[in-house]
Amino acid sequence: MSSYKGLTQEWLDAWKQKIAESKEYKEIAKDWEGSVSIIVNAAPDKNLPETAYLFTDYWHGDVRDFVLCDEARALSARFIMSGEYVRWKQVATKELDATKALMQGKLKLKGDLTYVVRNVKTINKVIDLLTEVNTIWPDEA
Amino acid sequence: MNGYAGKFLEVDLTTGAVAGFSLEEARLKKFIGGSSLAASLYLERYNLHADPLAPESPFMVMNGPLVGSGFPGSSRFAVAAKSPQTGIWGESACGGNFGPELKKAGFDGIVITGRSSTPVILSIADGEAIIAAADKLWGKDIYEATDMLKAEDKGWKVLAIGPAGENLVRFSAIGNDKAHFIGRTGLGAVMGSKKLKAIIVRGNKSSGKCDEEKFKAVSKEALQEIKESTFAESLHLMGSDVGMDLGMMNGDVPIKNWTVGEDFELSAKLSGPTMRETYLTKAHACANCPVACKRVVAVKDGPYQTEEGPGPEYETCCTFGTLIMNYDLAAVIKANELCNRYGMDTITAGATIAMAMELYEKGIISAQTADGLELTWGNMDTVCALLKKIACREGLGNILADGSLQAAAKLGAQGLDAVVHVKGLELPMHDPRGFHGMGLAYMMSNRGACHLQHAAMGMEQGMVSWPQLFEMKEDYQGTTSQGKAMLVFNSENYGILGNSLSICQYLMYCLKPETIRDGFNAVTGFNFEFQDLLLCGARDWTLKRGINNLLGISAKDDVLPKRILTPLSEGAAAGSVPDMQLLRDEYYAIRGLDARGVPTREKLSELGLTELINKLYT
Repeated sequence: MSSYKGLTQEWLDAWKQKIAESKEYKEIAKDWEGSVSIIVNAAPDKNLPETAYLFTDYWHGDVRDFVLCDEARALSARFIMSGEYVRWKQVATKELDATKALMQGKLKLKGDLTYVVRNVKTINKVIDLLTEVNTIWPDEA
Repeated sequence: MNGYAGKFLEVDLTTGAVAGFSLEEARLKKFIGGSSLAASLYLERYNLHADPLAPESPFMVMNGPLVGSGFPGSSRFAVAAKSPQTGIWGESACGGNFGPELKKAGFDGIVITGRSSTPVILSIADGEAIIAAADKLWGKDIYEATDMLKAEDKGWKVLAIGPAGENLVRFSAIGNDKAHFIGRTGLGAVMGSKKLKAIIVRGNKSSGKCDEEKFKAVSKEALQEIKESTFAESLHLMGSDVGMDLGMMNGDVPIKNWTVGEDFELSAKLSGPTMRETYLTKAHACANCPVACKRVVAVKDGPYQTEEGPGPEYETCCTFGTLIMNYDLAAVIKANELCNRYGMDTITAGATIAMAMELYEKGIISAQTADGLELTWGNMDTVCALLKKIACREGLGNILADGSLQAAAKLGAQGLDAVVHVKGLELPMHDPRGFHGMGLAYMMSNRGACHLQHAAMGMEQGMVSWPQLFEMKEDYQGTTSQGKAMLVFNSENYGILGNSLSICQYLMYCLKPETIRDGFNAVTGFNFEFQDLLLCGARDWTLKRGINNLLGISAKDDVLPKRILTPLSEGAAAGSVPDMQLLRDEYYAIRGLDARGVPTREKLSELGLTELINKLYT
């Protein structure tokens, strides 16, 4: 199985492909509309010298843009999730559930929380599919 | 003394005597307030073996030191008595404005004994209390009675019972200003047994704080923490029913009397987001609470119309929704309103009806016994009719009015796994098969199966992380029993402080423990460290356990019901059941219980509970 360097465009493409190929995701996410940006705060001691901005876009079970972006584009997303690198890595490796990370204040969310709660299955499925991407994290490189 | 009014009210409804008493600082430092203080008085001064509905059994209302201080979330007060439903220690806590008003009226608590020959109310204003006739109020539902009392003066804060309490329904609730309800363990029936229709209170006195400047600074910090909390935001937007969507996904939500593991259509129709988009008219807050998690709802069309009033909590959306296979949120709101008006605990009421539906399906309840009602799953017309029959103790309602355990015995269904309880109290709506720690918390809670007298839910479901208090994981796996005994032990010692300090448990989930500690110290001047507070929590648990031991509780009662030990075939908790023996053995060792389930002499001595040593070991 191929491995990808985490937080790179190739890694995002692999994640997008996993989602696009998932029939289960397509069914669960049939009502989801809108983009989600992921902001990973810089962690020089973890080999992430600058903050990473990721823009991901979903529409009724389909996947649209999945790109590294600048801060302005990230802040234009319908939902913005931000947090420390170590927390994102914990979420992406299933060490920490994303909902728990939000409730404990370890990740922050900007956007309609009601919509997120109603669609929590969709979010969990997207993260489940990320864990299937064989990732080499910056601090492991 | 800072944080306390310094006076408790003692009322004998048989003689009409009204008096005040005070408690020494050493006792307050030991038990702080709330139900902990009530339990210490109960053990010391009253006959534990009296029937809960006998005149000599006390009915107690207790504040804590933070009530009335203005600290965020400090609205809570406790009501305590021997439970008419379970026959053991009973208590229930409540928010709203009654607690702060009682302190402004000059009292930290009220202890009521005796029985009036005619219906009365207790009226407390500015340090004075009088007993007044309530003949015109008797028979009125809680909304009507509250309106009549407030018609005289809107400033009164009201605790009132409805027809269920008057008729001694064993899971009667007490209404607080038509907005909050003291539901669990049936303490409304204790008021009813004393012919006490209501307690009304008002006052203008302010209680002192030890360090006003420090208090202001800590309160400001608390408000900032709440503002930044996603948990607080979710409660404000969706109320406690925010748990429905998340719970269905992780195996927390019970369905069809705990026999089905997953139904996403149910959760979608009954969830917090759905309530917000359909019947919510506004959010309502308790005193000094910036969160405003309480729902105010109205159903304006269809067969289940209601006036604008308090909306159902998550628990009620389950008991009158998922547990009985009702997909109609409007009908849940109607059932909630009926329980509020009649004065009944929505958890026990819904759970008892769920049991009855299962017994009807199995032919154990015949059509004749059901008074001609079709007790089929999801039949909400029947549910509404049955709630009235329960409150009025009519027909099948008279049987169900004693709660599911006693009703099952009368219906010839004792021992059947349709009765889902611990120590006679029906399980709240969190499935221990999805969260084994919650199962242990149910087993060991001192009022029977309880989700609130500890912080196990917040800790095990990952809503909180308190590494500064004790060692804990950021992410517990729900479907394992390993390590859960320590989780539950810690969660009890800290979570129970919400009751004695008088802070809402939801706010405890939003605030850092050091903020709560500092607020408490700024008010009282006690200068407690975390370990002092946790010791008070441990003392509280052990005191109530000792009382229950004296009432006959032992290891044989620390068990989960058969249904919860039966695995589900679908959903996130499929195939999982708590390892009851492992959980209990580990917990007993940590808690200092012997094989009988009784606190050891050494543990009692360590906690300074000498009176219990005398009573349990002589």
